[in-house]
Amino acid sequence: MKLNIDGLLVYFPYDYIYPEQYSYMLELKRTLDAKGHGVLEMPSGTGKTISLLSLIVAYQKAYPLEVTKLVYCSRTVPEIEKVVEELRKLMDYYTKQTEAKNDFLALALSSRKNLCIHPEVSALRFGKEVDGKCHSLTASYIRAQHHSNPSQPVCQFYEEFDAVGRQVPIPPGIYNLDDLKDFGRRKGWCPYFLARYAILHANIVVYSYHYLLDPKIADLVSKELAKKSVVVFDEAHNIDNVCIDSMSVNITRRTLDRCQTNVETLQNTISRIKETDAAKLREEYSRLVEGLKEANVARETDMYLSNPVLPDEILQEAVPGSIRTAEHFVGFMKRFLEYLKARLRIHHVVQESAPQFLKDIYEKVCIDRKPLRFCAERLRSLLRTLEIADIADFSAITLISHFATLVSTYSKGFTIIIEPFEDRTPTIANPVLHFSCMDPSIAIKPVFGRFQSVIITSGTLSPLDIYPRILDFRPVTVASFTMTLARTCLCPLIVGRGNDQVAMTSKFETREDFAVIRNYGNLLLEMSAIVPDGIVAFFTSYIYMENIVASWYEQGILENIQRNKLIFIETQDAAETSMALEKYQEACENGRGAILLSVARGKVSEGIDFVHHYGRAVIMFGVPYVYTQSRILKARLEYLRDQFQIRENDFLTFDAMRHAAQCVGRAIRGKTDYGLMIFADKRYARADKRGKLPRWIQEHLTDGSLNLTIDETVQLGKHFLRQMAQPFRQEDQLGLSLLTLEQLQSEDMLQKIAQIAQQA
Amino acid sequence: MDEEPERAKRWEGGYERTWEVLKEDESGSLKASVEDILFQAKRKRVSEGHGQVRLGMMRHLFVIIDSSRSMEDQDLRPNRLTSTLKLMEFFVEEYFDQNPISQIGIITTKNKRAEKLTDLAGNPKKHLAALKKAVDSTCVGEPSLYNSLNCVALPSGTEIKEILVIFSSLTTCDPANIYELIKTLNALKIRVSVIGLSAEVRVCTILTRETGGSYNVILDESHFKELLMLHVKPPPASSSSECSLIRMGFPQHVIASMSDQDAKPSFSMSHLDSTGEPGLTLGGYYCPQCRAKYTELPVECKVCGLTLVSAPHLARSFHHLFPLEAFQETPLEEYEGERFCEACQGELKDKSVFTCLACKKVFCVECDLFIHDTLHCCPGCMQTDRTS
Repeated sequence: MKLNIDGLLVYFPYDYIYPEQYSYMLELKRTLDAKGHGVLEMPSGTGKTISLLSLIVAYQKAYPLEVTKLVYCSRTVPEIEKVVEELRKLMDYYTKQTEAKNDFLALALSSRKNLCIHPEVSALRFGKEVDGKCHSLTASYIRAQHHSNPSQPVCQFYEEFDAVGRQVPIPPGIYNLDDLKDFGRRKGWCPYFLARYAILHANIVVYSYHYLLDPKIADLVSKELAKKSVVVFDEAHNIDNVCIDSMSVNITRRTLDRCQTNVETLQNTISRIKETDAAKLREEYSRLVEGLKEANVARETDMYLSNPVLPDEILQEAVPGSIRTAEHFVGFMKRFLEYLKARLRIHHVVQESAPQFLKDIYEKVCIDRKPLRFCAERLRSLLRTLEIADIADFSAITLISHFATLVSTYSKGFTIIIEPFEDRTPTIANPVLHFSCMDPSIAIKPVFGRFQSVIITSGTLSPLDIYPRILDFRPVTVASFTMTLARTCLCPLIVGRGNDQVAMTSKFETREDFAVIRNYGNLLLEMSAIVPDGIVAFFTSYIYMENIVASWYEQGILENIQRNKLIFIETQDAAETSMALEKYQEACENGRGAILLSVARGKVSEGIDFVHHYGRAVIMFGVPYVYTQSRILKARLEYLRDQFQIRENDFLTFDAMRHAAQCVGRAIRGKTDYGLMIFADKRYARADKRGKLPRWIQEHLTDGSLNLTIDETVQLGKHFLRQMAQPFRQEDQLGLSLLTLEQLQSEDMLQKIAQIAQQA
Repeated sequence: MDEEPERAKRWEGGYERTWEVLKEDESGSLKASVEDILFQAKRKRVSEGHGQVRLGMMRHLFVIIDSSRSMEDQDLRPNRLTSTLKLMEFFVEEYFDQNPISQIGIITTKNKRAEKLTDLAGNPKKHLAALKKAVDSTCVGEPSLYNSLNCVALPSGTEIKEILVIFSSLTTCDPANIYELIKTLNALKIRVSVIGLSAEVRVCTILTRETGGSYNVILDESHFKELLMLHVKPPPASSSSECSLIRMGFPQHVIASMSDQDAKPSFSMSHLDSTGEPGLTLGGYYCPQCRAKYTELPVECKVCGLTLVSAPHLARSFHHLFPLEAFQETPLEEYEGERFCEACQGELKDKSVFTCLACKKVFCVECDLFIHDTLHCCPGCMQTDRTS
C-alpha cells in the first residue's frame, strides 16, 4: 500500500499495516528531518525491519541529496540475510508499482569466510584460517613477487577483480551473500573485495556491527562512507557491550609466550634480510622518517594490521627515532614484552589507570609514551617490509602492539587490572592482564560524530534514557512503541512465593536455601503439566543452573517433570547446545513436549527465537544480575558513577532487566503468537525492577499478577492458555491491530496511533 | 445436564477478575476481548452452516477418549474423566437423535496404549452402558495419539470417515512418526477433529488442519458441552464421495400378543453377539428381505446386510437437508418497531436484532441461536402458517 507519512510517499509492500508501524515511521521521519539521532523501542514481531526499510528508502528516493546511503547494522549473518530478503520484497513492490527500472544497489557484507569462492581457501573451516590464507594470496608484496616469479600462487579471483572489477560498476539490484557469490563466480571476481569496493557507491549496505564499531575494522571498511548516511543499529540493546569488547584487550601468559616467539621470528627475518637486501630496510627507514601519510597505498589487502583509532595528528607525525630502525623496534618490543612478563608475575591483584601504567613503565624500563603510541603502526610497516605472508601467526604480537597504542593514547575511560588467577579457580595461577574499556562512548563516538542520523532500535531498550547517557549522545527522538493487540497474547506473571509461602528469590543469601530450590522445582513441575509443547527456562548462570538441577535430581523433582516433558540443557559447548536445541524443537513438534534449561546471557537467550509452539512459556528463575564481584565490572561501575552520574545499583538493575526482558521476549515473536512470561523472583515485583521492563510488557503486568504463589500462577496460566487456544483469525485483528489503508486514514484511528508512541 | 447453569459456578471458575474485564472494555485500545471474538465466531457458525452444502447423512464416527493421568485433574467437576464421560453419554444420545442412521464407536487411550471400548455400532444402549462402566476405570500414564488413531484407521479402512479426539493431556507417547500417520489419514480422507481439555497442542493443530477437521479447546464445562454438540451435526460431505443410492429396508413392527396362538417367541438377531440378557420375545422388526428379527432399529441386518431403519428416523434427519435460513442481523439503533423479542418476549437490549426473512419477526441473540441450533424452524413462521 502507499502511505502518506507526514507528507512523504512511502511504499509499503504489504496489504495490511500494524498501527505501531505507522507510528514508528512517523517518528523515524521526524528524526531524519531533524538530521539527528534516535532511540526507538518497538517489540519484536511487529515488523520493525520493514518499517525502517520502507521509510528510509522512500526518504532516499524523495530527497536523494539529503540522505545518500543507508547503513543497516545487524548482529548475525542470519539476521543480515533476513533484512536483505525484506528489502528484496520492498524493491519488488517498488518496481511493480512504479514500473520503473530499479536503480538501487543494496548489498550485504560479511567476512571472507562467508564470501570467499576460492576453491581451496573457502574450504577452510575457521574464519581466521580463511583470512590468513586469503592474505597470503592477495597481499600486495605477494602480488609483486608474482610478477617476477609466476610460480608464486595468487588468488585468480582477486587478480581478475583488481584488473577490471573497479571500472565496471556492479549492476543495481539486491544482493545477499549468495547473490554476491554467484555474481562473483559468473564474472570470476572476488565477491569479498567486490562487496567492499561496492559499498562505497551502494545505496544500502547491510553488515555487522563490527564493521562500524570495531576501530580496527571500521577504519578499513567504513572509512569512506558519506556523511549523509543514515546508520541503523538493529537489536541494539547490547550495543554498549559490543563497543566495550571492541576496545578491550586481554593478555595472558600464553599470549606473551607466543609473542616471544613472534619477536624471535622477526629478529631472524630481519638479520636474514639485512644480509640479502639491506636496501629494503633502508627504504623503509626513510619512509618512516617522512611519516605515516603513505598509509593507504596497499592497505586494502593488508587488513589486520591497521591501527586502532589514532588521532589524525599522529598520522602526520614522523615515527619517533627510537623505533625507526627495524632492530631498534624489535629491541623495543622485547623490552616491552619483558616488562609485561614481569608485571604478570604477581600474587595479588593490581588495578591501575593508564597514566599510572605509563609512569611505571617509564621508571622501570625507560619506555616513553610516544614510541608506544606508534607501536601498532610501526609493526604493520615492519611486517609489510619483511614480506611475511602468513599473518595469522602474528596475532599475538599484533595484540600486544594494539595494547601499547591504546594504553598510550587514551588516558581516560580505561583501566588496567592484573589478576594472578581467575575468580572461580583461586588456586590455579593463571595471570591475566585486562586492559578494559569502561566507556562505550569511545568506540561509538566517531559513528555519532560522522553520520548525520544514527538510529538505535530494538525490542528491549527500556529504560530509554539510559542509552543516550552511557553512549554519550543527544538523540532528537526517544520513543517506545507498544504492541496493539486484538487479544492480550502475552501474560507476564511475577511469582514471588511457593505454596508454602517461602519467598522465592535468587538473592545471594538464599539461593542455596533448600526451600527456594524446591519451590523453583515445583514451579517448573506444575508448569510442565499445564503448558503445551515447549517451555524455556532461564537461570542466572551456568553454575547456578548446575547446582539447582543437581538438587532437583536428588529430590526426585526431575523425574516427575520428565513424566510431562523431556528436558534439554544448554551447555557452554556450542555444538552440544545446538544439538539440544534441535532435539528440543523436534520434541515440541511431535507432541511430546519439552523443556529447555538455559542461561540468561547465553547463546539461547540472545539469538534464538521460540516462535509459537517452540515456546509457550518462558520462566525466568531469578534476576539475571551480572557477576558483581568481577573487578572489571566494579571498575566500570565506578567509572559510570563518576563520569555519567549513574548509580551502581541503577546500572546493575538496568543490565539485569534488559537481559530478563530479552529472555522472556523470546517467546512472543508476533501478534498471532502467544506465551506466558513467568518471572520467578519476588524482587521483580518491586517498582524499580518492574519499571525497567519494556513498556509493552509492563502494560500487561497488572497489580493482580504480582507476587503470586505457584497455585495462583497455575490457575492464571491455565485460564490464559485456554483463552489463547480459542480460534483466532485475521479478521479478528483487522481494524484493531491490523489495518487496511482506509482504516488507517480514519480520524479516530490516527488519534489512537498518536497514543502508541510514548516519548521518554 | 439440566442442573448445569450457563457458565460454571463462580467459585469454580478460578480467579475471575470482573473489574479487569470492565476496564479493558473502556480503555479502548485493547477492548476486543476473547469473549467478543468467541461470540462473533458463534454467530458466524450459524450463518455459515446453512450454505448449500452436501451433508454426509450416514456417519461413521469414532470417538477417542483420552484416559491418561491428566484426566484426573479436577478443573472440571468432579474430575475431567467423569465430566467427560457424562457429557459423552449426552452426546451419544443426541448423536443418534439427530443422525438416526449413523454409527459410532468409542476408544480410550491410556498408558501408551489404545483400547476399544465399543465397536462401531448403531445402537446407543451398548455405548451408554460402556460409558457408564468406564467411569470407574483408573487414569494412568500417557495417552498415545498414534496408537489410538492407528487402531481406528487401519482395520476398518475406508468405512470410517470421522474421528473425534477428546484430548486432555499435553503430551503424547508415540511409537513412530505421527506425521506419517497423518499423511495416511489424509489419503484415506478421514476427518479428525480434536477437543482439547487443557491447551493448544501443536501436533493436534497439524492433525486437524491436515485432515480438515476442527480443533477447539474448552474454556469451562458449558463450553465443553457446546463444542461437543457441534459434532452432532453432520459435517459437509467431501466432494469426492460419490452420490450413491443406498438400499434400505423399512421393517414393520409386528406386535403379537401372548394370546395369539400362531405367535412363537423367538430370539432377536441382535442378541447373537451380545452376552447380556438374551431373551425370547414375541414381537419385533422383521427384515423385509430375509425375515430376520430385530428388537431395535436402526440396525444393519446381520444376514443380508440391509440397512434397516424406520421412516420417522429418516425424517428426523431431514432438517439437515432443509436448514432454516439465517436471520438478518441489524443494529439495534437502526431497528424501528416494537422492542421485544418474538420468542422470549424479553426486551431487546443487545447490540443487534435478528429478523426472520420469511415472516419478518424479530428475535434477540439468544433466541436466534436457540432457534437455529435446536428448533430448526422459525416460531414466527409456524404461527403465521397456522393462522393463514
